[in-house]
Amino acid sequence: MPMNVDWFAALLMGLAGAGHCVMMCGGIASAFAGQVNTGQLFIYNLGRIISYSIAGAIVGAAVGSTAGLADNGLIGLRIIAALVLVAFGLYLGQWWFGLRHLERLGQPFWRRLQPLATALRQRQASYSSLFMAGMLWGWLPCGLVYSALSWAAISGSATQGSLYMLAFGFGTLPAMFAFGWLNHSLQQLLKSQGFRKLMGALMIVYGLWTMIIALRQLQVI
Amino acid sequence: MTQTKLPDVPDGQCFHCLQPLPADGGYRVVLNNQQHQVCCYGCQAVAETIAQQNLLHFYQYRDTSNPLQIPLIPEELQQLTAYDDEQLQQQFTRVDGDARSINLSIEGMTCTACAWLIEQHVSRLPGILQVQVNATTERVNVRWLPSTVKLSAILQAIAELGYRALPFQAANQEQEFKQRRRYFVTRLGVAGLATMQVMMLAVGLYFGVVSDLDPQLRQFMWWISLFMATPVLLYSAQPFYISAIRSIQAGQPNMDVPVTFALLSAYGASAYATFINEGEVYFESVAMFTFFLLVGRYFELLARQKAVSAASNLVKLLPAIAQRETAVGEAESVAVSHLQVGDVIHVMPGATVPADGELLSSSAGVNESILTGESRVVNKRQSDTVLAGSINQNQAIRVKVTAIQQETVLASIIELQDLALSRKPKLARVAERMASKFVVRILMLAAATFLIWTVIDPAEAFWVTLSVLVATCPCALALAAPTAVTGAIHKLNKAGILLRNADVLQILPDVKTVFVDKTGTLTTGEFKLQEFYIHHQPDSQRFSESKLKALVQALENHSEHPIATALRQLTSERTTVTNITNETGFGIDATWEYESDKSVPVRIGSLRYIQQWHPDFKPSLNQCQVFLATDDKVLAELDVGDKLREDAKATISAMQAVGIEVIMLTGDRLELAEVVASELGIKQVFANLLPADKLEKLSAAQAHGAVAMIGDGLNDGPVLAQADVSITFGHAADLARTAADVVLLRNQFSALDQFRTITLKARNILRQNILWALIYNIGILPVAMAGFVTPYIAAIGMSLSSLIVLVNSLRLYR
Repeated sequence: MPMNVDWFAALLMGLAGAGHCVMMCGGIASAFAGQVNTGQLFIYNLGRIISYSIAGAIVGAAVGSTAGLADNGLIGLRIIAALVLVAFGLYLGQWWFGLRHLERLGQPFWRRLQPLATALRQRQASYSSLFMAGMLWGWLPCGLVYSALSWAAISGSATQGSLYMLAFGFGTLPAMFAFGWLNHSLQQLLKSQGFRKLMGALMIVYGLWTMIIALRQLQVI
Repeated sequence: MTQTKLPDVPDGQCFHCLQPLPADGGYRVVLNNQQHQVCCYGCQAVAETIAQQNLLHFYQYRDTSNPLQIPLIPEELQQLTAYDDEQLQQQFTRVDGDARSINLSIEGMTCTACAWLIEQHVSRLPGILQVQVNATTERVNVRWLPSTVKLSAILQAIAELGYRALPFQAANQEQEFKQRRRYFVTRLGVAGLATMQVMMLAVGLYFGVVSDLDPQLRQFMWWISLFMATPVLLYSAQPFYISAIRSIQAGQPNMDVPVTFALLSAYGASAYATFINEGEVYFESVAMFTFFLLVGRYFELLARQKAVSAASNLVKLLPAIAQRETAVGEAESVAVSHLQVGDVIHVMPGATVPADGELLSSSAGVNESILTGESRVVNKRQSDTVLAGSINQNQAIRVKVTAIQQETVLASIIELQDLALSRKPKLARVAERMASKFVVRILMLAAATFLIWTVIDPAEAFWVTLSVLVATCPCALALAAPTAVTGAIHKLNKAGILLRNADVLQILPDVKTVFVDKTGTLTTGEFKLQEFYIHHQPDSQRFSESKLKALVQALENHSEHPIATALRQLTSERTTVTNITNETGFGIDATWEYESDKSVPVRIGSLRYIQQWHPDFKPSLNQCQVFLATDDKVLAELDVGDKLREDAKATISAMQAVGIEVIMLTGDRLELAEVVASELGIKQVFANLLPADKLEKLSAAQAHGAVAMIGDGLNDGPVLAQADVSITFGHAADLARTAADVVLLRNQFSALDQFRTITLKARNILRQNILWALIYNIGILPVAMAGFVTPYIAAIGMSLSSLIVLVNSLRLYR
C-alpha cells in the first residue's frame, strides 16, 4: 500500500470535516483574541496542527513498534482504521453517532490541559501565546481528530504518523480560514447538510475500499 | 463573570455548534448555572473551556437564528438600500393593495437547485407573501409587504447566498444574454481546441504506435496532454462545479455532482499517472466530456433565450420618450418613466403608444400586433382604451394616460409569459425529480461499482467507476423537459396564445370533452340584426322595408335595452314617432306618423308584449326575439343575434373529427341555442342554464375524464376555474381580469386548432425525450458497470443521448 494514498485520505478527512470544524471552532479564535487578523489566525491554527502532528508521531511510534511484532499486525490495524473511517463517514453524514464514544477517551487528557489554557488566557495576545493557545486547542476531545489518529497509528513510524496528521491538519485549514475571510458562500457550503452527507458518503466508500484492499492482502477475499 | 442569561438556541440543536443533537439528547454542560444540551464531548469541552476563560460573551453575541446568515459587508449593503427609494421603486415595482411585487433578475443562477435555494431563503423573511423563482429566465418574482420588510433586505437575503439580484429591466436583458453567451462560447472554444489536441495525442497513444512506443515519448505526450487538459478543467468546466456546489448546498444533488466527480477524479488520476509515469491517463475523456457537456448547455441556453426574448422583445418596442401636453397645450418631450397617470400625451402617426390610456381624439386606427399577434388595424373611438405597444396608424392622437410602466397590459402579458415558463408541467417536474433521484442512485451505484471491482480487480476499479459516472450522467433526462416546454411556450406565444399554466401542455391532449359557451365564444358577441322578416301586408297599406326599419330605429332610440344598440343604425330613412312610452322588460309603445296626416299606434318588444294586442299570434320564425306590430296586425319579426365566428364551424368539425365531443352550454333559450348548434354541427346542447347549472354539467362530465371549457373569461369565471383546461378569447385589455389557463389573444376560433396541434406536438416530444433518456440511462448502466465501456466511449454516449434530446426539442421551434 503506497503511503501517498493515505496522505490523500488524511487531507480528505480534514476537508470533509470542515463543516464540523467551522461550526465547532470557527468563532473561537476570535473569542480568544478579540479581533484577529489573518496572520494571527494562521499562527493559532499552526499551533493546533502542530499538536495534531505531535499526537500523530506519538501514536505512530507506539503502535508501529508493537504492531510489527504480530504477523499481519499492521494489516489488522488497517482494517480497524478503515472501520473508524466508516464510522467517521456515518458521523459526518449524521447517520450514526458512534464516534462520540471515541471522544470520551480524550476527556481525561483534556482535563489536565485545560488549566494551562486558562493560564495562557491571562497573558497578552502575542504571537507566541496565540501559538500556545492553538497548540492547546489541538488537544480538545474531537472525534475527527481521533479517527485521523487511528490512521496515523498504522503509518508504522513516528515520522509518518506526524506527517500524516500534518496533512489532516492542513485539510482542516480552509475551513478555519473560511470563517475569517474566505467568501461567504464557501462557508455556507461547508456547513450545509448536503455537503456533510456527501463527504460522509465519500468517507464510507473510502473506508470500505481500504478494508477490501486490506482483506485482499490477507487473502480473505 | 456576568450572570445574564445566555440566548437560547433552537430546539434540537447543540448549544455550542448549532448542529442537530443526537437522538438521545446528547450531553449536558452547565454555563452560568444553566444547563444546556450539546452534541458531543468535543462541544462539551469547548463550552466548558469558554466558560472557564470568561469568554461567554461569545455565546451572547453570536447569531443563533440561522446558521446560514452571515452579515454582508456594509459597503454592499449601502448600495442595496438605494433601492428602498420610493421614486426609484415606482419604475420597477407593481403596487398591489398593501403589497408590492417586483421582478428581479438574478446573476449567477445556474440550475434548479439555485432556484430552490433562493426560494427557501427569501420566503423565510417576514413580510414576504410569495417568491417565485424562474430558473429559465433567471428571474425571481417577489411579492412583499413594504411595511414589514424592505426591498433592500430581500436583495440582501439573495446576496447572502452568493447571487446578485437587481430589479429586472428588459433593456438590460439583451446585455445579459450576450454575457451569458460569451461566458459559454469562450469556455466552449477553449474546451474545443484542447479536445482536438488531446484527442490527436490520444489516438496516437491508443492506436498509432501502441506496442513499441518509446516510454520517454509516451511520457512526453502525457505531459502535453496534461498541459492541454488543465485549462479545460480549470476554466471550461467551471459552470459545472458551481452548479454542483450549489446543488449540494441545497441538499438536492443535480447531475453536475457526478460530472464534477468524474472530471476531477479523472484529471487527478491522470495527472498522478503522468507525474509518476505509470498507469493510465484519461485526459482525452476529461476534455471531451467537458466539451460535449458545454455544447449541450450552450444549446439549452440558446433555446431558453429564444423563448425569453420573444417576450422581452415586446418591451423593447416601447419608446423611451413620450410627448406630454403642457398646461398651455404644447407638447414637451419627457422620459416615459416620468409619465404619471392623468398626463395627456400626443402620439404621432407611425409612433408606438408609450402607456395605456384613454383616447381623447375622436377616432384612431391602431395596430395591436405586438399584443395580439394579429396585424389588422383596430379602429378606436373616443374614450376607448389604447394600449401601450400598439402603433398609431393614422393621424396624430391625444391620449390620457391611465396606466404606466409595470401596470400596463403589455407588462401583464409579459408577466404571464414569464409565469408560464416558471411553472413546469407535471411531466417536466416528474422528469426533474427523476433526474435528481437518478443522481443519488448513480453516485451510490458508482460507489458500489468501485467496491465490487476492487474485489474483482483493483487495477480496473477506477476506470470502470469513471465510465459509470460519465456514461450515466442523466443530462438527457434533465434536458428532456425544459427544452420541450420552452419550445412549446415560445411557439404558442408567437401564435398569440398565452399560457398561464404550463400543465395545460400535458392535459390538453387527453381532453375528450370540450364545453363551449355560446355568446361571445361561438359568436362574436356583437349583436346585429340577423333577420328582418316582414309579414304579409295588404296592398292597401304597404310599408317598404326601409320604412319599417326607419320605424324600428326611431323606436329603439328611446330604449335602454342592450339589444337596442344593434337596431339604431339600420337605414338612412327617417320617420316620426310620438307619445313614446318605455315599458321596461316588455318594449316600447308609441304613435307612428307614417304619413304627414296619418298615424297609428305601434309597439316593438318581446313576444309577450305583442301578444297583449294579438293573443293568437305565433311567430313564423323560431329564432326571432323582437316583434313589431300595430294594434291591428303584426308587421315584422326581428332576429337580433350574434354573428357566428367565421372559423367556428371548421374548427369544431376538426375537433369532432379527432373524436372530441363538443358540448354547448348557454344561458339562452333552447330554440335559440339549437339554431346555432345545428349550424355548427354541435350535437349536444344544454340551454337555459344558470352559472351554477353550468358548473354542475361540467363537474358531471369530469367524472369521465379531463374537460376543457372555452368561455368568456369575465362571466364564466367559476366554470372556467372548475375545468381542467380553461380557454378564453381575450381582448388584451381584459387580460388582467381573466382567470383562464389559456388566453387566445388572436380573436379567432381557429387559434384553438393551432393550440391543439402545438400542444400535441409538444407533449409527444416531451414524452419521446423522457422515454429516450430513460432507455439510454437505464440501458447503459449495466453495460458500464460490467466494465465494457471505456471513459471516452462513455463521454460520447452521454453526449449523443443529450444531443438527440436537444435536436428533438428544437423541432418545436420550427
